[in-house]
Amino acid sequence: MRERITFLHRPDDALDPKQLQLQNDTLHVTFLKAAREDKLTVGLYELPQELWRALKQCYELHIRWISPNPYLSVAPFVSTASPGLHVFFTPQRDKSADLLCPLLSKTFGARVDCRTPEDTFIHLPVASKRFASSAAFQHYQTLPSLTDLATYLHQRICPEEDESCRRRAASLKSADYLDIDYDTLSQSLVLSAFWHSPPLTEAWDERIDKSKASDKVEIGVLASEKPAQPEELSLAGFLAVVGEDSKPNPTLFSFPSRHHVAPSTSGTEYSTAFLEPIGLHPTLRLTLSSSTDPPTDGCALHTYLTLPSSLFLDKYQLSSSNFLASKNLHSIRSLAGETDLEAPIWTVSKWGSTLLLELAPPPSTSGLRSAGTVKEPGGSWHADVPLHLRYLPPNREGHAFVSVAWPIVFWACPSDEGTKMSTNPFDRVNLGYDGLFGPRTMFYHLQPASGGESLLEEILVPVLDMEGSKMKWVQSGTVTTVVLGFLWVCLKLLAVNRGSLGRKGGRWKGD
Amino acid sequence: MSTSFFTSSIIFSCAILLRAILFFYGLIQDKYSPLPYTDIDYFVFTDAARYVSRGLSPYERETYRYTPLLAWILLPTARPGAAWFSFGKFLFALADVIAGWLILLVLRSPAGGGMRTDRALKFASIWLLNPMVATISTRGSSEGLLGVMVVALLWAVLSRRIMLAGVLLGLAVHFKIYPFIYGVSILWYLEPEVISISEKSSGPSEKNPSAASVLQSLLAFLTPSRIMLLASSLATFMALNIFMYAIYSTPFLTHTYLHHLTRIDHRHNFSPYNTLLHLSSAVPSATGAVKFESLAFIPQLALSAVFIPLALAKKDLAGTMLAQTFAFVAFNKVCTSQYFLWYMILLPFYLPHSSLLSSPRLGLTAAALWVTAQGLWLQQAYQLEFLGKSTFFPGLFVEGLSFFVVNCWILGIMVTDIGNKPFSKQKAEGKMVEEDRGKRRVKRVE
Repeated sequence: MRERITFLHRPDDALDPKQLQLQNDTLHVTFLKAAREDKLTVGLYELPQELWRALKQCYELHIRWISPNPYLSVAPFVSTASPGLHVFFTPQRDKSADLLCPLLSKTFGARVDCRTPEDTFIHLPVASKRFASSAAFQHYQTLPSLTDLATYLHQRICPEEDESCRRRAASLKSADYLDIDYDTLSQSLVLSAFWHSPPLTEAWDERIDKSKASDKVEIGVLASEKPAQPEELSLAGFLAVVGEDSKPNPTLFSFPSRHHVAPSTSGTEYSTAFLEPIGLHPTLRLTLSSSTDPPTDGCALHTYLTLPSSLFLDKYQLSSSNFLASKNLHSIRSLAGETDLEAPIWTVSKWGSTLLLELAPPPSTSGLRSAGTVKEPGGSWHADVPLHLRYLPPNREGHAFVSVAWPIVFWACPSDEGTKMSTNPFDRVNLGYDGLFGPRTMFYHLQPASGGESLLEEILVPVLDMEGSKMKWVQSGTVTTVVLGFLWVCLKLLAVNRGSLGRKGGRWKGD
Repeated sequence: MSTSFFTSSIIFSCAILLRAILFFYGLIQDKYSPLPYTDIDYFVFTDAARYVSRGLSPYERETYRYTPLLAWILLPTARPGAAWFSFGKFLFALADVIAGWLILLVLRSPAGGGMRTDRALKFASIWLLNPMVATISTRGSSEGLLGVMVVALLWAVLSRRIMLAGVLLGLAVHFKIYPFIYGVSILWYLEPEVISISEKSSGPSEKNPSAASVLQSLLAFLTPSRIMLLASSLATFMALNIFMYAIYSTPFLTHTYLHHLTRIDHRHNFSPYNTLLHLSSAVPSATGAVKFESLAFIPQLALSAVFIPLALAKKDLAGTMLAQTFAFVAFNKVCTSQYFLWYMILLPFYLPHSSLLSSPRLGLTAAALWVTAQGLWLQQAYQLEFLGKSTFFPGLFVEGLSFFVVNCWILGIMVTDIGNKPFSKQKAEGKMVEEDRGKRRVKRVE
């Protein structure tokens, strides 16, 4: 097992070397105000059997969990996806991965709604087959916390009385995101968790040990510097290997980055809401600030939605250019998964669909207003995504709730031919949308502004109310009415025929 | 209203003008409004036509559930240019007007009542000048094509063009399935040739009412014109199906026909079965062991394909076809407002002799009830669809059943009117001779 722990403090919070005390196999961190990423690399056979047996069935597996609680992202940890549990997966050739879903339920909790990958997962579209870092199938569901995973790690993975392991398992409950990656080539499982700040307190006070299980524990305490190139990030600070180095080594390094924060001239924030009244055709409204200059030339503003199967988009509705323009949308770039326009939810087995939409922001220059765009004097504009609800199963309340995760919004920009994104030690791929772009695309992310509220929108869906004995009425009422209506018409038919039979005698009988 | 208005040139000019105005209005709305005038189905048809133009199957387009013929005749819409895109609407509107002209033709024909032109035009205007009809076809809904087929079928039968009638019937069934019910009434309507009956009635059939007589009455039933109708309609229907199957194989069968067997129809619509279907598809255990909804075809087909044709077809074919369609739509497992067009086109043949017109109070009550029941249903549907209120039960359930009850009541009136129509009057001049002979024969039997 190898560990890498990275603290990222703000450049203006100058670091006092006393805050890092390196002694033998221990590092003491005191009062460090910083974001933190922990990255653990574990060999396949260091894992318990139930884990490696399931992993052996996967060619590659990438799990991305993102907290529904908004957090302030810090470069280089700015990439994101919609809150919830995303599972990207490629099976071994010609083998079914029957252990994957049971394992997901065991680790992430019984709420994980996954039967088999064939049943539940959707095919992931990719921009080009050559972009090999994209998995073939995707599962997603909303999952508000990692409590069940923390419990699983505590009970099944951590050795008895290993307090530090248990503490770290519990710390996942407050993580902002967690990545788990496995692939056949590396034969190792990589876990990365991110905290934008220490939970409950202002600063980290930690004692980091090189445990018996770990081969190497690497620590970095870094802050962003101004990079020389726009597509690069620059970090400066100290690096240390616990148990090897006697003191932290100062460092300064730069690397190209796939993901950046959008500059303020391109809009930095967005918010999401459903327009009232919602009915059976909810409209998801993205509200964005009026600064809409692209970060560089050739960029386009996108939103990526991860929709549960109770909601769907009608791609045909979005084929008219007038309609798209009136919603400030440019076009559908990708739509995958459960997109049947007619099916109720009870005939749908897959988890839902993903949608990449290019937005059509109104020009940034004030005063100029092109036809059909909605731009408000308050300095914001919105893009509306028209969605439709499937019929949900009847229940005893007459309504049901559907949780919809906020989509993400980003500028996708072309980058220089020679840029090697994978040299980034913090590079993050397999987020669902990155595979829809070429490998040299850069993403400038806008931050969700929910005012601290959860990034899950709940919508109320009317369903057939089958409380009490109401439903007995449906069958008996329908059958009685239809039979009576039928008899009524038959009686009328008989009446006119008796009349005509009487008048004409045995006219037909004689034939 | 002065009769001078009802001349062919004025009515048809108005009908064409109405459609032209709506057509151009539609172009403007499509261009400038985010809410398109063009029907969603028209995009389905034209997308399918585009697939065909690229040598692909029209069933590549999701929700294309029609015969490939429709995509083929709309092939010009796949050509570049906005004008070509509207070709289908032009075609549908033209079909509409031709259907109106055929209505006029039938009403004036001796077998159809022999009406004076101005009076026939008044009734044809129910279709020709109907804003709902003109709107539906200029929005690009294909119902106008079916209208033409159905009225042409009626005209062909009444003017004894039996083979043409068979071809039209086969084509119409290939297009939309439901016109097969007309086959039964037309078969029943086509009276045995008078001479053969006279010959037979003097024969030995009355003496031994046994298996022989059953065979004989069957033989008597299978007159040349009935055989011709059966043969030509079946041949047309099967030829089209085999041809389409040869080209498009299973997707053709799945989407055009089998889809209707497997569809759930859970989304709210006017059908009385809607809530039951919704419930039983979502919670199969909630409706008990007996699946009444799977028996829904029994009352529907018993009325529209057996009882109504047998009881009424010989009295008034057009009226019978109206009553059949009305019953078929009212008792159907799914019902939307475009289905109303299926019977609206046959109204001009029924109304002239109906008690709905002769007793304005009855007519207005029926119209008011029909509209009100729909209005109440629509109000519940609006609350569900747009306000998100759970109005499935009792709202939509009760309103759906109420609309059904109103429909049954109106159907009862239609049946009574058509059944009590004087026999001789309907088969005017041309058929008088047969009628006289029939009477004579009846006397002999007694």
